[in-house]
Amino acid sequence: MIKVANLSKLIGDVQALDNLSFSAENGQITGLLGPNGAGKTTCLRMLFGLLKPDNGNAEIDGIDVAVDPTAAKQQLGLFPDPFGLYERLTPREYIRYFAEISGLSVEQAKRATADVIHDLQLEDIADRRCKGFSQGQRMKTALAQAIVHKPSNIVLDEPTRGLDVMSTRVLRGLLRDLKDQGHCVLFSSHVMQEVSALCDRVIVMAAGKVVAVGSPQELCDQTGQGSLEEAFITLIGSDEGIAA
Amino acid sequence: MNSRFVSLVRKELLDAVRDKRSVMAGLYYAVFTPLIMCGLFMVLITQMSSPDDLKITIVNSEGAPDLIRHLNNNGISHSDDASQRKKISLIISDDYATQMLAAKPAEVALQADSSNEKLADSIRRVSRSIERYSSEMAALRLIIRGINPSVVQPIKLNKQDQATRDSKGGMILGIAIFTMIYSVFISGMNLAIDTSAGERERNSLALLLSHPISVRQLVLSKITAVSIFAMLGLLLILLVSKVAYMLVPWQELGFSVGISSTFIIAMLIIGLPVAVMASALQLFVSFMAKTFKEAQSYLTIVLFVPLALSMAASYNIAPDQLRWAPVSGQQQALMELIKGKEIPLLQLLVSCGFTLLISIALALGIERMLKSEKVVFGL
Amino acid sequence: MRLTHFFAIISAAFMAAVSGSLIADEPVSDENSCYVDGLSDRLRCGYITVAENPQKPNGRRIQIHFVVIPAIKNIYPDQAFLAISGGPGQSAIDQAPVFERAFGKVRQQRDILLIDQRGTGRSNILECNEDEIISPLEFAYEEIASADEIQACLNSMDADVSQYGSETALADFEAVRRHLGYTTLHVYGVSYGSRMAQLYMRHFPEVLATVTLDGVVPMQQSVLAVGLAVDRGLELLIRDCEGTPACHSQFPQLRDRFAQLDSRLAEGPIRTEVFHPMTGERTPFVLTRDKFLGALRMSMYAQNIRQLLPLAIDQAAVKNYQPLLGLFSLTMEGIGLAMGMHNSVVCGEDIHRLSDTMLQQMADSYISSLLVDSMSAACDQWPIESVGEAFSAPIVSALPTLLLSGALDPATPPDWADMAMVDMTNAVHLVATDATHGVAMQSCAGDLIADLVEQSSWQNLDSSCLEEGARGGFYLNASSVEAATEILSVQQEPQP
Repeated sequence: MIKVANLSKLIGDVQALDNLSFSAENGQITGLLGPNGAGKTTCLRMLFGLLKPDNGNAEIDGIDVAVDPTAAKQQLGLFPDPFGLYERLTPREYIRYFAEISGLSVEQAKRATADVIHDLQLEDIADRRCKGFSQGQRMKTALAQAIVHKPSNIVLDEPTRGLDVMSTRVLRGLLRDLKDQGHCVLFSSHVMQEVSALCDRVIVMAAGKVVAVGSPQELCDQTGQGSLEEAFITLIGSDEGIAA
Repeated sequence: MNSRFVSLVRKELLDAVRDKRSVMAGLYYAVFTPLIMCGLFMVLITQMSSPDDLKITIVNSEGAPDLIRHLNNNGISHSDDASQRKKISLIISDDYATQMLAAKPAEVALQADSSNEKLADSIRRVSRSIERYSSEMAALRLIIRGINPSVVQPIKLNKQDQATRDSKGGMILGIAIFTMIYSVFISGMNLAIDTSAGERERNSLALLLSHPISVRQLVLSKITAVSIFAMLGLLLILLVSKVAYMLVPWQELGFSVGISSTFIIAMLIIGLPVAVMASALQLFVSFMAKTFKEAQSYLTIVLFVPLALSMAASYNIAPDQLRWAPVSGQQQALMELIKGKEIPLLQLLVSCGFTLLISIALALGIERMLKSEKVVFGL
Repeated sequence: MRLTHFFAIISAAFMAAVSGSLIADEPVSDENSCYVDGLSDRLRCGYITVAENPQKPNGRRIQIHFVVIPAIKNIYPDQAFLAISGGPGQSAIDQAPVFERAFGKVRQQRDILLIDQRGTGRSNILECNEDEIISPLEFAYEEIASADEIQACLNSMDADVSQYGSETALADFEAVRRHLGYTTLHVYGVSYGSRMAQLYMRHFPEVLATVTLDGVVPMQQSVLAVGLAVDRGLELLIRDCEGTPACHSQFPQLRDRFAQLDSRLAEGPIRTEVFHPMTGERTPFVLTRDKFLGALRMSMYAQNIRQLLPLAIDQAAVKNYQPLLGLFSLTMEGIGLAMGMHNSVVCGEDIHRLSDTMLQQMADSYISSLLVDSMSAACDQWPIESVGEAFSAPIVSALPTLLLSGALDPATPPDWADMAMVDMTNAVHLVATDATHGVAMQSCAGDLIADLVEQSSWQNLDSSCLEEGARGGFYLNASSVEAATEILSVQQEPQP
């Protein structure tokens, strides 16, 4: 479970986050939807303690990130944007490396790596160096890295950006599997279809604030609009920065 | 904690070993620097030393047959073949024999360009040979007049040269030790850039920091990995030097330059703090750069500092205080060691202490940088 | 003026060094760096302590000093080049500058090891300290040292002189080698030193890689036979001058003049007044026959001083004794022999080996008989046992051996080397046309020895450089060696 309360952050002259509060539950896929510049990425970075909030706090499974960042981060998996692969390592080495620095012992890391390679059907590329991988292969490797240590919370930053249709479909399937396994899945996106197709709950952000929270259906009801797209436009006052 | 550190270091090394650029930079330097240096020295030695059989131009040699015989005995003779002879001319005056007979100074002119370094040794040899002939004759002239020649040697100067055969090669040793110390800077440089600016460039830095490791661990692991690379480069250059320096005919210059096993061990021990400092310095500078290229251009400038420190130590051009400084201090201590003198232990300890202090300061600087939002995200 | 080199030439050829002192950084303890006069390089010095009498290991102990001239680039750290001095009685360490110059090429890759043989130099030197009240210029020492003088000399030495023979000394050399950890030696012995080298070949061939014998005294020969070689040397000198047009035209009556002078001196010494060669003061000069022949003998050791002899003889015949005085002054201070050690060797190993025929021959020669008589007087009282028959056997050896002789040698003529090598199966004898005694110091032989050492074989040695042209001309007047004919041709040229 991820919970943020009253997060505020001033970056330069811009109020990137303005008293932001929300939570994402286990067994649910939560989408953080907002136009470019709404503060999604800033918010996610705060979950990892990479940015310090001016105000407020973030809790992972009840652990305050500011108080015990290591323990908090142990419960998190990050699917970053961009992926940050090491081109000279093979996926197996890459995944194992992150498993180890996430706190698994050498043996555990080895086993967990083998498991996740199996789960994500990475066997055919597991021992090839990452250089020259397709987008789909890169995405799977990055995801494997995010979940190898079986964190209860998985955070994805713009996960489908740059992915082809096939890869997007695969990713969606994988996220649903994670939800079914009881994980808390939180992802940020500015792509509406993405959100409507996947999310159990949507948190709509604009200008560093939560504008609305609810299932896609609830949002439609709340705004009295027929489609989610219309609901968004109503909620944030414009369609700027949002992709259909 | 500990196993995470090991994982971090292992990954850095694995990644580096697979990076041709990182490996080759260190490898090329360590292998080719001693070889090229030795090659140059070999050419230099053959060019500078006077040949066993020295051919010069002698004008009017009929005028002084006994002098010519003496020169011939010392391997100096006249040649008509311009391609074989050195550009040194010896001109015997026409009245040489008359002057001799009358016990008046007989004149001989030695013409050569003393600024030509290739000739210097040969010129010295010719003039020394003539001086020797002259003084020998002087002594014989005294004897035949009933005077003991020791009468005209009021002072017998006994020179006691404290140089050892190793210390005579001081200049060359200075360069040799410099190339070795420099190798710790060169060998780790690519890895330092790749693991810092490179990490930023391919966006893996934020990902790393999102994991449950402390920034300090990360910094230490990177310094460790780069230091290991630097030390491997040092070991390699030492081994190559040991073999290469053996092949150069130093003895023709009257001294020897040899890399002993003791020296290798001392160099590795003394080189370790320098390697750590080099790594910290390079990482510090590279982390300030956003791309590989940018870091490279910064480092090229930064690397001038150890170069200057080392050169200053080799040639005594710097103030004395410099012997406490990193790099110069170690360089001087190593030179003393190879010259067979006592190692200035205090000086070495102080300079190593400084080296480590600087490393720690740099490491803290990197840690601070990586905690800064500006650096990590460029905000 | 640079005279250092000149002195080196003299001392090299005389096999007598300027009395040098060893200056160590600290009192010589076990091993130290030190310097030897005339050589600026830092050397390694040290000593080992051995029993004076090997049969009495608990008896008196003496120090055997050694010096290592370190290799420039020590490629063969377990090898050394051992150079042994002559005499008997010379210090090898004092001769370090001479050896260093001759063997510079050897030194490039190997240490040069010099050991003061027991009784010489710093190794418990056996000297007779005679009080010289009379100046050597005035002294007419035709008389042979009296029994009392010899006894006084013996008493003055704190040593058991019976323990200073060659074979005992050889064991010291081996002990030094083992102490320094050399597994292999290249040994060089000059003059009497060639006997030590031959004994090395006989007793410890397994540690030798190459041997060079220079100015060879064969095992079969008594060292006292050098007396005969002196006469040969004089004969060669006179013939040499007769065969050189410039010398012959300048000194056409050299042979006669020498004979006249010699017979004049045989009647009694010539007394005259000269300027002292050192102080320049007026001083009486008593020229005796032995001073005359002794000075000529010593002058023949050095190529360049030999150049003065025709002129010196010629001038003495016309009563100008300055040239002879100058030559004599060179040996006035002694020739650096430890006479006690010299006696121990000659009395134990040489005097009894003179055959009757040889004694007969020597009686006809003034120098020889003087030598034999004075040594006999000393040996009568010298308490040392004679060596056995086996000592005189020629050396049987298959070691690569180079024997060197100077054609002009006034001490060890070239046929002595032939005698030494009769039972050597891997030896070559090279004769340097223009060299006197100690070929390595006055020719290219030092480089040939370096090649021998390097290749451990004499097969590829190029000895052409020993052949001819190295000899300087005879002095025609007190200033020049250049012949008059050439001077005339030059004089015809217009002078500016």
